[in-house]
Amino acid sequence: MVAGVAGGLADSLGVSDGFVRAAFVTLTMTAGLGVLLYLGFWLAALDRVADAESEEVSGHQAIGLLLGFSGLMVLLFTLGLWPSNGLVVTVWAISFGTAFLTDRNIPSPLASLLDPSMEGPGRMRTLLGVGLLIGGLAVFAANVGDIFNAGPVILAVALTGVGILVAFGPWVTRLAKDLGSERRERIRQEERAEMAAHLHDSVLQTLALIQRSDDPGRMSMLARHQEGELRDWLFGSTPLEGVDLMSTALRQAAARIEESHQVPIDVVSVGDHPLDEATLPIVGAASEAMVNAAKHSGADRISLYFEAQETRLEVFITDQGKGFDESSSPEGLGIRNSIRKRMENAGGSASIESIPGEGTEVVLTLAVS
Amino acid sequence: MSVKVYLVDDHRLFLAGVTAELREEFDIVGSAQDVDQAIEEIRGLLPDVVLVDVHMPDGGGIAVVEGVVSTNPDVKFLALSVSDLAEDVIAMIRAGARGYVTKTIEPADLADAVRRVDAGDAVFSPRLAGFVLDAFAGAMPSDDDPELDQLTSREKDVLRLIARGFAYKQVARKLNISIKTVETHVSSVLRKLQLTNRHELARWASKRRIV
Repeated sequence: MVAGVAGGLADSLGVSDGFVRAAFVTLTMTAGLGVLLYLGFWLAALDRVADAESEEVSGHQAIGLLLGFSGLMVLLFTLGLWPSNGLVVTVWAISFGTAFLTDRNIPSPLASLLDPSMEGPGRMRTLLGVGLLIGGLAVFAANVGDIFNAGPVILAVALTGVGILVAFGPWVTRLAKDLGSERRERIRQEERAEMAAHLHDSVLQTLALIQRSDDPGRMSMLARHQEGELRDWLFGSTPLEGVDLMSTALRQAAARIEESHQVPIDVVSVGDHPLDEATLPIVGAASEAMVNAAKHSGADRISLYFEAQETRLEVFITDQGKGFDESSSPEGLGIRNSIRKRMENAGGSASIESIPGEGTEVVLTLAVS
Repeated sequence: MSVKVYLVDDHRLFLAGVTAELREEFDIVGSAQDVDQAIEEIRGLLPDVVLVDVHMPDGGGIAVVEGVVSTNPDVKFLALSVSDLAEDVIAMIRAGARGYVTKTIEPADLADAVRRVDAGDAVFSPRLAGFVLDAFAGAMPSDDDPELDQLTSREKDVLRLIARGFAYKQVARKLNISIKTVETHVSSVLRKLQLTNRHELARWASKRRIV
């Protein structure tokens, strides 16, 4: 109950935990031995797996356990560690009585008493439990004086407390378990609602937009973007979890630019590298290169190829658009400076090759350890 | 005589679209929306090239390829998919498909790919090139056939350029080689991909769920 020792011991012995608890309580009454045993078992059982299967107890085993327990009692009696017959018998009867009643194999003791269809050992146990309880109380009543003489009042209070714990403990545990499963159910429902909300905000909105659009280019762009987003959400890291890989960051940057500039961007990556302060500038420079290609190249698609090798990262942003004359185009110059500067500040380099009429390729390189 | 093409895809709209795109240049001999019908008709019609979707019920494109290749090794397959699962794409190639292109491919490029496959060459889209580079990455000691388990540096160069979005023609020019040589390199990579028993390949494919 306190540390699960009784339950654990019950599992390994193959008896109901109620009985083990009852034995502990009785032993405690007769010399505090139960407490010592409990602590002992607890220390020994610290690393025990909690969910062991309860084994069916065999007849021999049950008799053995009973004999062991009785032997202990006799030993304590002969040693003189015996408060009084009345106290011991009362505690024994009440605790074992409740053990019968709270046996986890019986769903509800009251039901098994009232429902005649419940038969067999369950009913037997209930009757036995009730009998023991009544007997225990009777002995207690008969020996009231004796008991109070024999031990301090505190003992009686403790006894009552322990009795209540033993009697209601399993019920409280069961209640807690029910609450646990209710919580799981609620979490499941929340997840479902979250998924519904996500699909509503993304897929359904996109489908609605596609239905209203009569521009095939725009339609395929919407579909493409939605496909990427859904794929990310289903299989990949969602934006909410944060981007922590180069490939993911580049893919997301490409998806954003694809959407805002209405040009498809094919992303191919080989290998991967963590995204950190050192590698973040590559994503920035690559984004800039993609935006430039989308804005100025006139190409109908852009390719981004990322390769992470052991000692360096490379990103190629390629378009087959109109290109520019590197020596004369002010536009090209601007691209060169901003992209190049970024990469140089990050300790890498950028090269830009453009052939008028054939396209442009930006190559970003960064050495990594 | 024009090339006989057969289409397999469980999406009717997509079948109609591809048929419209390819009809002018090729002889579309038939199409199927499920695996069993596809295998039966392909065996009967014996098309030159089959365009087959990777993802379909009842075993998918791989079941079609395996079902036909065993009896009719002359039929050539080109995998066509929106699927990005490297595992599935690699499995199709290893079953015998001669290439893989994504469904977002431009009609002209698709027609080009069909011609190429019909001619016995391999067709690598940028994405497939990326998959292969990734799968063969890293040094790798081999016990039986090192030739099959490694890409040559020239093959890697070719694949990298394809992954960067260049067409075979442009790859050839950039590397100062002929288109025929580019085709030879790509076919050689295809052969390695189909025949290698590099254990990393399977592990890589299952690890890399999405690209």
